[in-house]
Amino acid sequence: MSVQNVILKLQEFWAERGCIIASGYDIEVGAGTMSPDTFFRVLGRKPWQVAYWQPSRRPDDGRYGQNPNRVQKHNQFQVILKPVPGDGQLLFLDSLIYLGVDIRIHDIRFDDDNWASPSLGAWGVGWQVMCDGLEIAQFTYFQQAGGIELNPNALEITYGIERLAGFLDGKSSLYDLDWGNRVSYAQLKLEEERQFSIYNFELADIDMLRGLFQQYQKEAEKLLDRSLYLPAYDYVLKCSHAFNILDARKAISVAERTALMGIMRNLAARIAQKYVQQTEGEDHG
Amino acid sequence: MADLLLELGVEEIPAFAVAGIRDQLRELLLARLAQDHVAHGGIECAATNRRLMVHVLQVPERTPSKEETILGPAKRIALDERGLPTVALKKFCEFQGVKLTDVVEIETPKGSYLGITKVGGGRDAAELLAAAIPAVLAALTFPKTMVWNESRVPFIRPLKNILVLFGNKPLDVSFAGVRSGNRSPGHLLLSDAFFEVNSFKDYFEGLGRNFIILHEEERKAKILAEIHEVEEELECRIPCDGEMLDYYVFSTEYPVVFSGSFDAKYLALPTEIITAFMTHEKKLLPVYDGAGKLTPHFVGVANIPDENRKVSSGNEKVVQAAFEDAQFFWDQDRKEDFFALKALLKNVMFQKELGTYYEKVERLAALVDFVINETHQDALRSQLHKAAFHCKNDLLTKMVREFPSLQGIMGGLYLHAAGEDPLVWKSIYGHYKPRSLAEEKLEDLGAGILSIADRMDSIAGFVSKGIKISSSKDPYGIRRDANAIIKIIIDFRLPLDLAPLIRLAALNFAKNDADLQQNCKTIRELLASRLENYLKDHMKHRYDVVNAVMAQDTMAIHDKYLKAQAVARLVESGMAEPLSALHKRLKNICSGSERCNFSEGELKEKEEKILSDVFKESKPRIDGLILRKDFAQASSEILEMRPIIDAFFEKIHVMDKNAALRRNRIALLQRLDELLSAVADFSLLVETKPGGKT
Repeated sequence: MSVQNVILKLQEFWAERGCIIASGYDIEVGAGTMSPDTFFRVLGRKPWQVAYWQPSRRPDDGRYGQNPNRVQKHNQFQVILKPVPGDGQLLFLDSLIYLGVDIRIHDIRFDDDNWASPSLGAWGVGWQVMCDGLEIAQFTYFQQAGGIELNPNALEITYGIERLAGFLDGKSSLYDLDWGNRVSYAQLKLEEERQFSIYNFELADIDMLRGLFQQYQKEAEKLLDRSLYLPAYDYVLKCSHAFNILDARKAISVAERTALMGIMRNLAARIAQKYVQQTEGEDHG
Repeated sequence: MADLLLELGVEEIPAFAVAGIRDQLRELLLARLAQDHVAHGGIECAATNRRLMVHVLQVPERTPSKEETILGPAKRIALDERGLPTVALKKFCEFQGVKLTDVVEIETPKGSYLGITKVGGGRDAAELLAAAIPAVLAALTFPKTMVWNESRVPFIRPLKNILVLFGNKPLDVSFAGVRSGNRSPGHLLLSDAFFEVNSFKDYFEGLGRNFIILHEEERKAKILAEIHEVEEELECRIPCDGEMLDYYVFSTEYPVVFSGSFDAKYLALPTEIITAFMTHEKKLLPVYDGAGKLTPHFVGVANIPDENRKVSSGNEKVVQAAFEDAQFFWDQDRKEDFFALKALLKNVMFQKELGTYYEKVERLAALVDFVINETHQDALRSQLHKAAFHCKNDLLTKMVREFPSLQGIMGGLYLHAAGEDPLVWKSIYGHYKPRSLAEEKLEDLGAGILSIADRMDSIAGFVSKGIKISSSKDPYGIRRDANAIIKIIIDFRLPLDLAPLIRLAALNFAKNDADLQQNCKTIRELLASRLENYLKDHMKHRYDVVNAVMAQDTMAIHDKYLKAQAVARLVESGMAEPLSALHKRLKNICSGSERCNFSEGELKEKEEKILSDVFKESKPRIDGLILRKDFAQASSEILEMRPIIDAFFEKIHVMDKNAALRRNRIALLQRLDELLSAVADFSLLVETKPGGKT
């Protein structure tokens, strides 16, 4: 199955089960969790069902397009179900069946793996889902975001789109995948991987990024003072991406790492609190 | 009589936690049954990663009834002078819900009381069980908990189903927002979500029909038998035990062994890398040929049958990709100058508040130096220095960043590949070992010394941060570090007194002198308790033998190990009894007195002069034996003085009225006590006959 068919099928499946299909966020994020459609909406009492395709950047995972399994930008399919449904595991298995996986002949396992994002003050408990030894998804019961205990909790399912497509297609290099209509993953992405690897590892201007981090931080703080938590959060995401490139450039010392993570965690916590304060009066639904 | 069946359906419990929760469930339920006076004919427990089952046999439907007396107020308070009930008595009746006419007079040793007798017990077991189960579940503890529904009850993973049968009748129980019902979860992939259960027969038949092997022994036997089939088929060896076997047993409900192969070109990678990738990362077992060499095959355990070979071919692709990564890391890392990585350790945190790894390796070099001096291993000095400085460099390699379990090993392998001195690379290679007391002795003393230094530094750091360990909590592996230090010292028979090493290590973290004293004390106690554990649990010495050698407050670990063996031998040979009697007698007299000065000139009677002469003559020889660590011979030579000591006790009145005489006699006996105590405190032996339980 092509990459785009995996996305289309997952969108269909989750739309039919009551999710809205949102767009991936238009600022660089490391994972689907960082999109406002997850970070904010898991807070507070309001139910929320959403699914979206989120391109995710992890500069340090770049391999100049030379590794068959790793890329600095991969694609996630994120599902948030809040409150947690009673049959989340079965829904997930149904989605695999919908994609064409015969679950009676493939060894699908829920393998202990908890998830945490220290810079967002977020963590959850759950599993990596393995299919014949290949990790295809993360299945997490969200416990905290922005340092705030979630009540009700949300279920987060994050599919690795390339992994799923590779599994369904029997391909062992992701560059051999069919993106759709006979356009290969390599045609679409190889040059991007090569160029961004060179940029992230070799050319990114360290001083500029340090400066940007500080400017983004200041902007976020200013916006927070005006209670504009949505744009403030955008600037935290920009901080996070600048941090990730600095990290790929091995430019962050121990002390600095702790300090920068602390800045982001603090901002995220204040933003989350603002959101909760401002929305707590609203009715369910 | 009826049997109780309780089954909890839980979403996948982490494999490592399953057995512990099963044991807790058993213990908590047994304690609750005892508290409720519910009798039973035994309890059986079983667990998979998706269900916990308890079967209590033959529970009487009612608890035994018994008459009990409830005392009210004393008679003189309960009745006024006219013999009429007072307010106190009326209140008592009201509280107990009885009429005044139910009250009787009860004689007690403290005088006459008014009170009632009533029949207690005889309670309905079903009711008690229905109340006990939620209480027991609420008392379970977990390594990490989560919440998932409106109940907000913390559990290890979502609880999905409760099944309770008491004598084939369902019991109504609710916990964590889940109400019991007549169903049990099927196999996640091979059967329907639930199957119906209305009787024990339904349950056990339903498990079989739904691909659930409830008992871990059965799953284990199936796994081992199927691995053995592969061994026969491929004429190879596939070791499977400990952690991996437990993982397989507690991560499946219907385990099926599968095998696969990979491109033999990857066998050019170091064996350690191949096995680490397979076991830690992919949960697969390496396959060895008859000569013990790796073959390009692997074995794994699936949770479903693999008739179409989908599982094995999927795993083959995954293994191939993993080895491709491994090859990449191995090639890339070897391009770097390994020694140059040390400077970058300034960027790697050892632990919050405990500085970087750069600082740690600087400390290690000093500690290693000290251990070399103490153990007279000067020939190792320059190489061990180098090893200490560079033993953490591999934390910066791509391989170890990806696979932390290879730390140490990779440093060794990269230096080996670079042609480094074997003493250096082997010391780094092995310095994270041993990981448990059960492991083989380390091959290289250098690795042992580096390991002692590294672990002592970690212990001192964590203790200085105020981190405490308990039987269930030891997040930083402090206990494992202490165990390893004990094991290395004993395995290599190192003449190492840990007290000054502890001080040296603690000095690096102490805030002030009081802090230093306290930390040293804590570390000494920790290591002493691990030695005690080693002697009792690992060497199987009797507890009183261990007490006897632990009594003396020194940290000479290997000496204490030898002393325990000597004392155990003395017990076996029947010599412990007279030694213990002698030591008790000496202690009785000496205890309570300060250490007195001894002077030959003050000796008066014949028997004390003889004892003094014999002691003077024997002591240098016995000291020599102790110095040469021949503790058994030293003890038996002390015992040879016994007739003379007996004669002393028979004829000499130690507690003479003359203070000078008295003190001199006590002084002589104190010298004897000290000589004996230099081996062990024999007075602490409880059972001096051979045998006895540990």
